[in-house]
Amino acid sequence: MAAPVESVTKHPAERSPFTTTSFQKKTRSKLISIPGTRPSVQNGQLLVSTGVTSLDFLLGGGLAVGTVLLIEEDRYDSYSRMILKYFLAEGVVCRHELFVGAAQDNPDDILQELPSPILDDVAIHKPAEQPQLSREPQDSLDAMKIAWRYQHLPKVQSALASSSRFGHYYDVSKMMEAEIRQAAKCHRFYLPEHPTQSSTTRSPVLESYSALLKSLQEVIHKEGFAVAASMSKSRNILRIGLHSLGSALWGDDLSCHDNPAHCHSLTTFLYGLRALLRSSLAVAVVTVPSYLIQDRALMGSITRLCDNAIALESFKGSERETNPLYKDYHGLLHVRQVPHLNCLASQLPDHKDLAFKLKRKQFTIETLSLA
Amino acid sequence: MLPEIWQGTDAGGLLVIQDSASYSGRHLLKSFINAALTREEDIHVIGFDVSEDELRNGLKESTTQRLHFHNAFTDPLGWTDHPAFTVRQFNLEEITHLVKQTSHAKAATLVIDSLSWILRHVSPSIVCKTLQQLKKGGAVRTIIGLLHADMHQRGTVGSVCHLATSVITVVPGINGDEAVAKITKRSKSGKVMQDEEIFTIKEDLTIIVQSKSSQTGLKHPHTEEQEADPAANLTFNLRLSDTEREAKEKLALPFVFSKEKKTALLHSGLGSGRILYEPDANDDYDQEDPDDDLDV
Repeated sequence: MAAPVESVTKHPAERSPFTTTSFQKKTRSKLISIPGTRPSVQNGQLLVSTGVTSLDFLLGGGLAVGTVLLIEEDRYDSYSRMILKYFLAEGVVCRHELFVGAAQDNPDDILQELPSPILDDVAIHKPAEQPQLSREPQDSLDAMKIAWRYQHLPKVQSALASSSRFGHYYDVSKMMEAEIRQAAKCHRFYLPEHPTQSSTTRSPVLESYSALLKSLQEVIHKEGFAVAASMSKSRNILRIGLHSLGSALWGDDLSCHDNPAHCHSLTTFLYGLRALLRSSLAVAVVTVPSYLIQDRALMGSITRLCDNAIALESFKGSERETNPLYKDYHGLLHVRQVPHLNCLASQLPDHKDLAFKLKRKQFTIETLSLA
Repeated sequence: MLPEIWQGTDAGGLLVIQDSASYSGRHLLKSFINAALTREEDIHVIGFDVSEDELRNGLKESTTQRLHFHNAFTDPLGWTDHPAFTVRQFNLEEITHLVKQTSHAKAATLVIDSLSWILRHVSPSIVCKTLQQLKKGGAVRTIIGLLHADMHQRGTVGSVCHLATSVITVVPGINGDEAVAKITKRSKSGKVMQDEEIFTIKEDLTIIVQSKSSQTGLKHPHTEEQEADPAANLTFNLRLSDTEREAKEKLALPFVFSKEKKTALLHSGLGSGRILYEPDANDDYDQEDPDDDLDV
């Protein structure tokens, strides 16, 4: 069961600088009000945004607290890494705590590369301009010949965002500023810093994964993310981003051999991770290089062990790159699994052919239309 | 892209040359070594596949003192009492030690011929870890490894290439001495560039890049379709000439205000309209709206 929504004393909702509306929701029922979360309309779970509004829509409104999202990496790990960065950036903007675990790149490097949020989403009325050259007012008036009344009105935002400020938009060409990033508390796990001694006992979990799991458990208990912890201080969400689990750098030969010797270590780790998350206010995003894993049955069990699973397939380097059907997109997105939490059936997406495109200010996921 | 890699303009990182039984990548490897020696760089070669004489054959005599050959050919598994270099010695400490012994202040290039030998006897995860440590550490600047792709499982080859900054896959070309190189390069910003070139290697180990590979029968030849111009081939004229366009711009539309009136209207109406609502006796003005906790 995912983390139940329970009654706590109501805390005054924080006015973060990123809320733009002065409306305060009248909360008649006693729900946990953690900034950056909202209850789902379908099953009442507490949802957080993944950072990509189109992905939130696909997953049924957002990522439920206490669940795991599995991202099967594309061939060169460009887009899956981008989604991981969006997820962490959303955590910084919503003032959640972060936990980054990686074996290949230093977590500090990943945190440096977070995209910068677009803050001035709200339409700003430009006041009457200062006296300009006589030419310019003429040109600006001629800009709209017929709809000139709308000239000074600000451009309308695209209607993807819902009415409350749940998801944010990011500009990937700029890095997040250091002040914003340092305001967020980050926990790191970089595998080369945890030298593992090869134990003589054959445990089902690799030392690297068990060290990661222990570190996660420590952070959750010490920082008070466990649901059973005392309610005295204000609650927050822990966002866990784990990069490239199952790759050779974690010591796992899942992606190297067709019949791996450690075939159960990643699955055992995911089982332990999910058990840990179910009893804490945390969300995890895990990326796995699935194109290297040859054993399809094992990949299937890895998918089943995570609540949400999507696979990215980029067109770079494949013959699909030149196909005119795909020329507007960067790749295909397959939804492998949707969660059914506390319910019998899950909300399946209507369309199965989805394609994604990474634009500068948005990561869009659209249904592939044949036109 | 092959000339840039050959000239070493974008050095650094791990370069993997993937070959197969049909075309050996060692010629390309030797031409890279030759080019680096001409640039007066220090090269450390760990040779498993071929002997020192065979590798030095063809390289320019004057520059070979910068080439340090570590003999792993005679006894790679340590069966004799005094092996020169074994597969067990392929880790960060030993290699750093080796490189620091013979190298000067400049960062050196490490050439591994071939990675396949090491992958046969050491677990791939340990090899990947060592390569990643070498890439991150400062002892060597560039690592060039030769990998025989048909000797390993696909996952192993994929894992090693996943770590690489650039991967060059060589296959035999259509003509006799030509070969096709498929190059994939990953830049620091995460951008991936791909290229396919036909090249030949001359006697003195220089590379001649023939041309970009033309579309072979494997790919569908994509014909460029012209956008059909809908205004062509009509019995009436839908296009505008320049004078006609100017006249169109000058035309005063009905209901168009003069500029003064427009600016007056624009600047005064900055705020949006306000709705003044006085609830009537018949209106049901309930503060408690049952719909207000809907979030959609």
